[in-house]
Amino acid sequence: MCAILGNEHEYNGLLPLTANRPLSTLYFDCKYRIMDFALSSAVNANIRTVYMILNEGRVKSVFDHVGGGREWGLDSIGSYQYLGFYQDILRKKAEGKPYFNDMIGFLEKAKSEYTVFFGNKMLCNVDLRSILDVHQANGAKITVVFKRVPKEKIAPDDCILTLTEDNRVQKTDIFSELEDNQELYNLSMSIFLVKTDWLLDLLHKGQNAGAPASVQDLLNREMTRVKTRAYEYTGYLSNIHDIKSYYDANMDMLDPEHFNALLFSSQKVITRTKNEVATHFYDKTKVKRSQFATGCIIKGEVEHSLISRRTVIEEDAVVRDSVIMSNANIKRGATIQYAIFDKNVEVEAGVRIKGTPENPVVITKGSHVVADIYGGEK
Amino acid sequence: MKNEMLAMILAGGKGTRLGKLTQNIAKPAVPFGGRYRIIDFTLSNCVNSGIKNIGVVTQYQPLILNDHIGNGASWGLDGLDSGATILQPYSNNEGSKWFEGTAHAIYQNIDYIDSMDPEYLLVLSGDHIYKMDYEDMLSKHKKNNAALSVAVIDVPWEEASRFGIMNTDENDRIIEFEEKPENPKSNHASMGIYIFTWARLREVLLNGFKKDVDMYDFGKNVIPFYIKSGDNVHAYHFEGYWKDVGTIDSLWTTNMEFIDNEGDLNVRDKSWPIYSKNPIAPPQFITSAANVKNSMIVDGCFISGEIDHSILAANVQVKEGSVVKDSVVMTGASIGKNVTIKRAIIGENAIIGDGAVIDGKEEIAVVGNSEVLGVMINEG
Repeated sequence: MCAILGNEHEYNGLLPLTANRPLSTLYFDCKYRIMDFALSSAVNANIRTVYMILNEGRVKSVFDHVGGGREWGLDSIGSYQYLGFYQDILRKKAEGKPYFNDMIGFLEKAKSEYTVFFGNKMLCNVDLRSILDVHQANGAKITVVFKRVPKEKIAPDDCILTLTEDNRVQKTDIFSELEDNQELYNLSMSIFLVKTDWLLDLLHKGQNAGAPASVQDLLNREMTRVKTRAYEYTGYLSNIHDIKSYYDANMDMLDPEHFNALLFSSQKVITRTKNEVATHFYDKTKVKRSQFATGCIIKGEVEHSLISRRTVIEEDAVVRDSVIMSNANIKRGATIQYAIFDKNVEVEAGVRIKGTPENPVVITKGSHVVADIYGGEK
Repeated sequence: MKNEMLAMILAGGKGTRLGKLTQNIAKPAVPFGGRYRIIDFTLSNCVNSGIKNIGVVTQYQPLILNDHIGNGASWGLDGLDSGATILQPYSNNEGSKWFEGTAHAIYQNIDYIDSMDPEYLLVLSGDHIYKMDYEDMLSKHKKNNAALSVAVIDVPWEEASRFGIMNTDENDRIIEFEEKPENPKSNHASMGIYIFTWARLREVLLNGFKKDVDMYDFGKNVIPFYIKSGDNVHAYHFEGYWKDVGTIDSLWTTNMEFIDNEGDLNVRDKSWPIYSKNPIAPPQFITSAANVKNSMIVDGCFISGEIDHSILAANVQVKEGSVVKDSVVMTGASIGKNVTIKRAIIGENAIIGDGAVIDGKEEIAVVGNSEVLGVMINEG
C-alpha cells in the first residue's frame, strides 16, 4: 500500500490557529500534531511511500515536523515521500492542462497494489491492515471508513453515507443539505482504500473530463458511481473543524478511556522526538487531572489542562481547563481558564484570561499578554 | 578542531558497586535523571565540543548500551562525515581478545583508530555526570605542546586518597602519578579523561605489547611510562560539576540533588544540550487522585499516587493510594496500589505488587531491573 494525505480543505472556524499552518500540523495533546495519526496508521501498516497534498505557503510546519521522516521510518531504503501543491493542481486545471500528472507520477513510481487516501481533520487510529482485508474480500472498487456519530460531531460540509444492510454505499449527502433529524449519522471519515490501477484510471480520465481538483471531492463523488463498501470504525474519533471541536478533542484526552483508546491501542502513534529534560514539579505545585509533555517547569496550580513542552508556570499562577501549546511562560499569579494558547505565549504576572467551555479564548502565537482578557461571548 | 580529534569512550565497565542495577546492563547505560543514561553526558559533551567521530568500546552486557547508541543518530552523529562506532571484543588468529585494561582496549582497536587517522585521541570513561568542553582541553594540549594531557579536578583533601592523584610542578606539568596514595601530596584527582597525541601513544602501545612490557592500564602503566620517558604530560584543570555515580548511594544522592539543585548541572542550558535516545511515548497523565510535589517526571507516566521528591522515568505507572518518596523509579516500572516506596531505586521494568512496602531507612533500597516484588502469582 501507499498513502496520499490530502490537505486541501481548510476551515475558517479554526482561525487563528491555522493562520500560518495547515490543519494537519495543529498541535494535539501536548506533543502530537494531527497528521501524526494518519501518518502513524500508514507506517503501522507497512506503508513507506507517502504523498502529501499541501496548500502553497503552508509547508514550513510540515517540513519542520516530518523532516526526513526518521521517526516514522520513512528515511530508509525503499521509502519515498513526495509533496504536491493543491494550488498547482488548481492552476493547471484553470489553464486546461492535465492536472493530476504529478500524482499519477507518484502512484506509478510507488508501484503499490493499493492506495489509501486520508483527509486531514479526522483524528483517529485506524488499522489499515484490517481495512485492506475487508477490501480484498468485498470486491468493491472503494472501501470508505465511517463512524456512526451524533450531529454535534459533524461539520456542515461533511459527507454522510446512506448504507444498505450489508454496508454498501447507496447515497451520499453533504451534512448541511440533509433535512431529516437522526440520532446517529454515518459520517464518512474521508479515508478511502482503492486499487492503485483503478485510481490511476480515475485520475487519467478525470483530468480530461473536468473532475474535481480535490481528490477527496473526487472520491466522494465516485462513491455513488462505483461499487463502494463502508468499513465501520469503532475507535476514538474527533472531527476537528473549528475551535470548539479542537478544544473538545484535546480535553477528551483527559478522560483515561479516550486517552487509552487513542494512544495506547495496539497501533503506536509516532511523533517527532525532542530532547527535553524531565518536567519539574516544584514544592508548592497543585496538579490535578492534567497532562504534561517534557521540559516544563511547574510551580503553580494546574487542573484539567494539557501542557506542552517547555512551558513555565510560575508560583501562584493557576491554569484550568486549558490547552497550552509549547513554550508558554505564565508568570506569578496569572490565572487562566478555558483558553487555548498557541506557541510561545507570555502572560504577565497577575493577568486574568477567561473564556467559556463553549468559546475558549484563543491566544495567538507569540503573544505577550499584559492585560486581562475575558472572552466567551460571540 | 573538527575531525582532528577522535574520541574513544571506554564503556565496558561492569560497575560492580551498583549491584543489581548492573546485573544486565553496563554501568554507562544506567539511567539517570529520568531522561538519560550515564553515557549521554559524555556523548553530548563530545558532540558539543565539535567531535564528529566516536568509538564506544563495549564489553560487559552491551545489549542495552548498543541499542541505546545505535548509529549515533540521537546525538546527530549520523551525518556524512560523522559516526558512532560500537567496538566490541573480537577474536583472531592470535586468540580471543577480551579487553584487559583501559590501555589494552585502545591497543585492541588500533585498526579502527588508524582508519580514522586522527591527530589526537581523546579517551573517556562514560561513567560520570558532568559537562566539559574537550575542545578547550585540546587547545591547551596544543599550547603546552603536550604528548598527554590529563584532566584533573581538585577534590577535598580528606578524599584524595580515594583517587588517582597527579602531582604537578608550577607549570602544571605532571611529574608524578600516585594511585590512591595514603598520604597525598596534592588534591588534583584524575578524571579519567586523557588527550593523547596519537602518533606517540600508538608507538608506546605497539612497543609495549611487542616487548611484553605491561601497557594494560593508563593509570598504572601508560602514564607512569610517559612520565619516566620524559614525555610532556600536562594537567588540565577542570572546575565545576562532576559526579561519579558508581555506587548505589552516589547514584541515589546525585539524582536527589538533581531535583533540588537542577541548576548546578544546568541541563536546560540550550548552548550545551544533553542529548539522549528518546522513546516515543504519550504525554504524562497526572490524574485527579494524584499528588505531585518536588519531582521530575517524563513522558508516558500514568500517576494516580502521591509523588514526593522523586524522579520518574518514561512509562512509569503509579496506582492509587501509593506513596513514592525520595526515590528514583526507572523506565517502565509499574507500581501497584497502596505501595509505599521510600529512599529507593526501582530498576527498569520492575513490577511492585499492591500493598508492598519498600523502605530504605537504613540503606537505600534497590529493586533490580525487571524484578517482580510482592505480586501474588496464582498457580492454581
